Amino acid sequence: MPAVVRISNLEVGFQGHSLLSIDDFHINQGEVLAITGPSGIGKTSLLKTIAGLLNPISGTVHVCGATLPQRPERGSIGYIPQKLGLVRHSSVWSNVMLGSRAGNPRSTSREHAMNAIEAMGLGEKKNEPIKRLSGGQQRRVATARTLAQRPRLILADEFLSELDEETSERVVKSVLDYVSSNEAAMILVEHDVSRAREISDRLLVIDDGRLNPFIRDTSVMEV
Amino acid sequence: MAKILVKIDSELRELIVSVAVLLLTFRILLELTSGMVWDWNGWSVIEPQSYPPCEANRFLQFTCSTAWIGMIETIKIAILATFFGMILSLPMGLLSSRNLFPQYITYPSRAVVSACRSLPSLIWAIIFVILVGLGPTAGIMAMTIYTVGYLGKMQYEAIEGMNSAPLEAANAMGLTKAELSLWVVIPEMANHLIAQMIFMFEYNVRSGTVIGIVGAGGIGYYINLYLKFLQYEKVGAYLLIIFMVVMLIDLVSIYLRSFFTDESENTKPTWTGVFLPRYEKILLSE
Repeated sequence: MPAVVRISNLEVGFQGHSLLSIDDFHINQGEVLAITGPSGIGKTSLLKTIAGLLNPISGTVHVCGATLPQRPERGSIGYIPQKLGLVRHSSVWSNVMLGSRAGNPRSTSREHAMNAIEAMGLGEKKNEPIKRLSGGQQRRVATARTLAQRPRLILADEFLSELDEETSERVVKSVLDYVSSNEAAMILVEHDVSRAREISDRLLVIDDGRLNPFIRDTSVMEV
Repeated sequence: MAKILVKIDSELRELIVSVAVLLLTFRILLELTSGMVWDWNGWSVIEPQSYPPCEANRFLQFTCSTAWIGMIETIKIAILATFFGMILSLPMGLLSSRNLFPQYITYPSRAVVSACRSLPSLIWAIIFVILVGLGPTAGIMAMTIYTVGYLGKMQYEAIEGMNSAPLEAANAMGLTKAELSLWVVIPEMANHLIAQMIFMFEYNVRSGTVIGIVGAGGIGYYINLYLKFLQYEKVGAYLLIIFMVVMLIDLVSIYLRSFFTDESENTKPTWTGVFLPRYEKILLSE
């Protein structure tokens, strides 16, 4: 299986202040990786670095065939931020179409958007503006936007919080189905260890270098 | 349905009461000012001009007055300047936002916006009167340039303050800057942009009254004319009319802007509150 993400000698952090150091790490097609650990240890920063939103202090990151800061092919990375990143005044449809337009040709973008909305059980809310939806519904919209995009790599930052058990199972099933049937890969940050273990193929706990063979050195940022 | 009717009904009632109070205040003001200090004949400015003959019916004779013609021209200049200014300032505002574009784009763009803002609209009006001649065209151009400077700054400051999460998600997707601006920034900031545009229109009406003094059209032309003839009572009447119109536009714009603020359901004011804020506070405390 070819690697979707390959990291070597990476140092992640802000303004020269290192949060995480990673020697060597890769994630293959069809693989789901969960990252867990205490707050402020750099999980979100790691996701942002892989997404190309944050420049690493040092090291190299290969994502979907490109070496950062070179951008991978348009629509290859689907990122669900912790704060979801939805356009609040736009409708569910417009938000999902945003992802679909990024990852699909014009001819199929509407179809993929509709499928993703249906998969997330948001068919009836299609024309509602985001600001009128509950927190859980907004999370489903963010997931639908990423699924409609059909990315090769999904980066999800606590995307299951605020969801009830039933909805959570439905969302997880849709995402895992997508990953396995499209040979995509997924990295998710999850605080709930048992849920992370359930969803993922590999679970990485970032906790001062323990339990993790490739995390060489980590330092917890004081909050 | 009945609920909506009751809501409209109460709003309409509030509007009628508020306008009535405003008109009454205006009437009292007129009574107080007439015959004061000197024999007040300033209000001749709202009488129809002797030439060209007025063809309006007798209730609309005031539409042939210099005050009406000048004020309407000022408002037209303000509408066009705001419209063109908005069209030009939006790309400038986007290009000046540091969370969207790199510094080598934002710096030159900000320099252009600052240059537009560095001169007051009156000076721009003098420049355009020299360039294109007397009349409202010069006024529209002058105020458009100033609008780009003023509105552009408000826009890029608002855009820079927007939530970064939608931008991060869109950047990770690989959207182009144009797509990011059209599909993320403008929809997300639409309420702010519309509210700023309404504010700018109100501002342009105010500054539009002045640019006529240098020959760029609007009511300022008549003010300048009567100043030269030393007919200060007429100048006073024009100033009172400008005050009334600006106040009215200001009040309506508060109401309109409230529809475009973020939590409009909570902050939407009532008409009574717009016209008589104190009155509403007393009512609420009871």
